[in-house]
Amino acid sequence: MKRYALFLGCTVPVRAQHYELAARNVAKELGFEFIDLKETSCCGFPLKALDAETSLLMAARNVGLASNLGLDVVTLCNSCTAMLSDAQSKLKEGEFRKKFAELGFTYPNEIKVRHFVRMLYEDIGIEQIKKAIKKPLRNLRIVSHYGCHYLRPSYLHSFDSVENPHTLDELVEVTGATPVDYQEKKLCCGGSVLGVDEELAVKMANQKLSAAKNNSADAMVSICPFCTVMYEDNQRKVETKFNTTYNLPVLYYPQLLGLGLGLTPDACGLKFNRIKPDSIISKL
Amino acid sequence: MIDLRNADVNFKWEIIEQEGGEGLLKCFGCSDCSASCPVRYLDERYNPRKIIRLTLLGMKNEVLSSPFLWFCAHCHACTERCPQGIRVAEVINAIKNYAVKQGHCPEGLKVQLNLLNNSGRLYELEDFDLRKRQRMGLPELAKKISDVARIFQSTKIFERIAK
Repeated sequence: MKRYALFLGCTVPVRAQHYELAARNVAKELGFEFIDLKETSCCGFPLKALDAETSLLMAARNVGLASNLGLDVVTLCNSCTAMLSDAQSKLKEGEFRKKFAELGFTYPNEIKVRHFVRMLYEDIGIEQIKKAIKKPLRNLRIVSHYGCHYLRPSYLHSFDSVENPHTLDELVEVTGATPVDYQEKKLCCGGSVLGVDEELAVKMANQKLSAAKNNSADAMVSICPFCTVMYEDNQRKVETKFNTTYNLPVLYYPQLLGLGLGLTPDACGLKFNRIKPDSIISKL
Repeated sequence: MIDLRNADVNFKWEIIEQEGGEGLLKCFGCSDCSASCPVRYLDERYNPRKIIRLTLLGMKNEVLSSPFLWFCAHCHACTERCPQGIRVAEVINAIKNYAVKQGHCPEGLKVQLNLLNNSGRLYELEDFDLRKRQRMGLPELAKKISDVARIFQSTKIFERIAK
């Protein structure tokens, strides 16, 4: 059985346990194993604007913990993915490596850092997942939200296409649901400016929620807990600001895939979604 | 109105010295970054091209004290489109890092720094969270990661923002 080191970061284990639960249950269903990294910290991304070197050292320490186990890292958050990947490339530089070693950290084995969704696409593959689908989600129209750091910057990821992304849409399609093609697909959720200017962040989130409504989507699929904060936790705020109603369920991709794999709504953690996905469950 | 008599010719060299700042001099001002920017699209007060231009001209005070510097969402849309191959979001981040050293650290970042110093995570794992995790069958996690505070000591980060 293929094993991966699961990196949870800050938000998932405290604010998005349903995402974690669904990801773990999908792993069991598809036949791979997560090894937990109990001593990992924040990835470092929140401090990048304050001091990039400090944030890179935090990220490198986390990568080092997985490297010591000789396991590839799987993350559930876009920004964690980019931050840990950045640290990996930084570890190739002598001066940085020296500071890293002086702190007592080690990076003995070359490993990969990838988002869970990318790992599904590359290691399990669309064909394999297709064979495992037990309950095709035929009646659902889904807008995929890739988020920024799943693919950008491309010099770190070298995956999919930043201008014309398709991997998440393919993974939605394989569940039997219909991925909606829409113009606003590549937009940023606004999460990074939430602490700086809430009104601006809310405006950014509104663009995509509005696009989902205009395209008659049943739900949005997200792969990042920070993006979900914008689209789900702050959806009421967006509705108030723009005097409209969306009531759009926002599912994490493993939750959608889990339903397609025949897992129960409880095993997908659907009762923890803030916008209740009853409309989806009744369509299945 | 830009008054070049206030320009600090060394400013751009200082930015280049920051982590991620090295591409700055390659900018020829085409504005692809601003045209690709999702923040700029909604709020004209944020303009990455203008920040980079002002930096190259040496308008240190205008750049460092501008609240709009912090509007960058670090989404890297600009980086992907720059015809000069500049990692634009990294350059903007380098300017932010330098602004912090010059005493312009936003309060929100200081709060995050303190949280991370205390527990190593942005959200502390309270007993409530641990119980919820247990009920959901999710594994235990360490409550405190003290290596983070050790990293902060080694990079002297608190001395930097104390300025």
